[in-house]
Amino acid sequence: MPRRPLVVAVSIAVVGLVLTVASSWAAGRVDRNTEQRLLQVQTDQAGTVLSTAILLVQQPLSTALSVEKVAGPMGDTSAFTNLMSAQVGAGKMFESASLWQRHGHRMKRIAQVGDAPLMRPGDKTTVSFLQHAFGSKTFIVRAVTHDAHSSIAYAQADASTGFAITAERSVPANRRARVDNNSAFAQLNYAIYIGPKADAAALSTTDVAPSSLPLAGTTARTKVPFGDTVLTLVTSPREHLGAPLSQRLPLILLIGGVLFTAFASGAGYQLTRGRQAVETLYGEQRDLSERLQRALLPQSHPAIPNLDIAAEYVAGAQGVDIGGDWYSIVGLDDGRYAFVVGDVSGRGIDAVTVMARARFTIRAYLLDGHSPAATLGKCSRQFDISEDGHLTTALVGVGDSRTGEVTIANAGHPAPLLVRRDGVEFVTTTPGPPLGTGAATYASTTFTMTPGTTLLCFTDGLVERRTEDIDTGMQRLATTAAGATVSSADELVHHAVSTLRTDDARDDVAVLAMRWAGAR
Amino acid sequence: MAEFVIETPAGARRSLAVSGEFDLAAVEEFLSAALGCLEDAADVCEIDLGAVTFIDSSGLGALVRVRKAAHDRGKEVVLTNVPPAVSRLFEVTGLTEAFGTGSGG
Repeated sequence: MPRRPLVVAVSIAVVGLVLTVASSWAAGRVDRNTEQRLLQVQTDQAGTVLSTAILLVQQPLSTALSVEKVAGPMGDTSAFTNLMSAQVGAGKMFESASLWQRHGHRMKRIAQVGDAPLMRPGDKTTVSFLQHAFGSKTFIVRAVTHDAHSSIAYAQADASTGFAITAERSVPANRRARVDNNSAFAQLNYAIYIGPKADAAALSTTDVAPSSLPLAGTTARTKVPFGDTVLTLVTSPREHLGAPLSQRLPLILLIGGVLFTAFASGAGYQLTRGRQAVETLYGEQRDLSERLQRALLPQSHPAIPNLDIAAEYVAGAQGVDIGGDWYSIVGLDDGRYAFVVGDVSGRGIDAVTVMARARFTIRAYLLDGHSPAATLGKCSRQFDISEDGHLTTALVGVGDSRTGEVTIANAGHPAPLLVRRDGVEFVTTTPGPPLGTGAATYASTTFTMTPGTTLLCFTDGLVERRTEDIDTGMQRLATTAAGATVSSADELVHHAVSTLRTDDARDDVAVLAMRWAGAR
Repeated sequence: MAEFVIETPAGARRSLAVSGEFDLAAVEEFLSAALGCLEDAADVCEIDLGAVTFIDSSGLGALVRVRKAAHDRGKEVVLTNVPPAVSRLFEVTGLTEAFGTGSGG
């Protein structure tokens, strides 16, 4: 079956593209996994840096509390002021710091440094914030917004002394912070949220436009303890973190794969089309040879009284080359007829050429009135295997349709089979050498057919098999013919061919059957 | 399928032995070897057919050609160890006389 070039091309393209996409996807997935892993490592490092920064926030508060504890129940506001002044002011840690003393449920501010804090004395939120600080073992954190200002308020309290420290650190209006190039955040975009959730309301600082949050693409997050709460750090890479090749590999694979697939698909198309063309040519050549061969066979049989004629030619199964088998039957005068079945050795146009020559030479001698033996004798001088490279076997006969008498001569051909109503037998001939061997004389055999008897002539393709000798094949034919219940020459030929011919047989077959229906 | 093989043993009297399936596909190789044998042989080229498993009309034709070539050169081809099936085929095809009985060697 010739395959359609387009089907092959499309199949290759589909398979190629699937493989390309799969490998590209796999490479991309590996890259993404690597990227995710690298990002998490950097984020954890950034988290550590953040923890250290928190210590810097907490340390002044703890120190101030320790100072007040040493100072006794009245406190030491000047010590507080001195200490915190170093931490409060433009470009420093805090914008403001306050010292508070608890009196029962009331909270009294006894000292204050820096700007006016957003947490004012007497506010309920301030009181509850401080009470919360007294109930907490660590410092506490709260976001405070007042008018347009936002701050993060820190508080640490010492329940044993009744002192509490608060400090506020303002958050820029746009909540953006610059990132030091050498810091752990250098390769990261980040957003820091107060509390466990990355909600816009809990945003503390970020290095990107707050409106673009949350961070998209590959992200990682880590949580850092922050007083009584946590900071949630969310990051995404500013640029590819892994090796550049790892990032480009999926694209390289994709482009390379598509190009290769296109090439393979095109090549497949060309190859298949070329092969299809060759197969077509091959088929045409064989078709031509076979038509030539068939053109040399009789298209119809002559009408001969009392004679039922049937013939069949079957070409060999494989190859361009055809064989040189033929059959022929012609009417002579006085109710006589002549017939030939022959076989030229070898195959191809040369063999068919020799066949044509043999067929018309034999026919000419027979029409000229020569006997079968004389015809073969004359022909033997006209064929030479040394010159044309082929041997020709032929069974030549002349019959009388009025009497059933038949005379045959044989040039190296298998003997014909007589199929009678009550049995079968091969005609005993005395074969002379095939035509092409050299000048020879041939013996005649004469026999008389009984009414209803069929003379079955054939070429060796009908009986020859490579694994057995010729007699075994001949015997198989005899058995096949004897077992047939046929009433015409045509049925006998068809039965013999369909029974004995295998589909993969290489040799050609020609079969000619003549059933004599006369009466004596 | 038995492969067609030609053996040409060294020796004073030229000969060759063929085996396997002697068909159309084997003809060219056989003719080349056999005609070479005829060139070198003083008078007789001996062809051993003992291991031939099958021979068709093309193989028979090749044997005929070699025999005719021998006659043209005034030499002779002798077939030896002819298997019964091949010998029988010679009978059927009227070639027994041309090749002699041959089976004795």
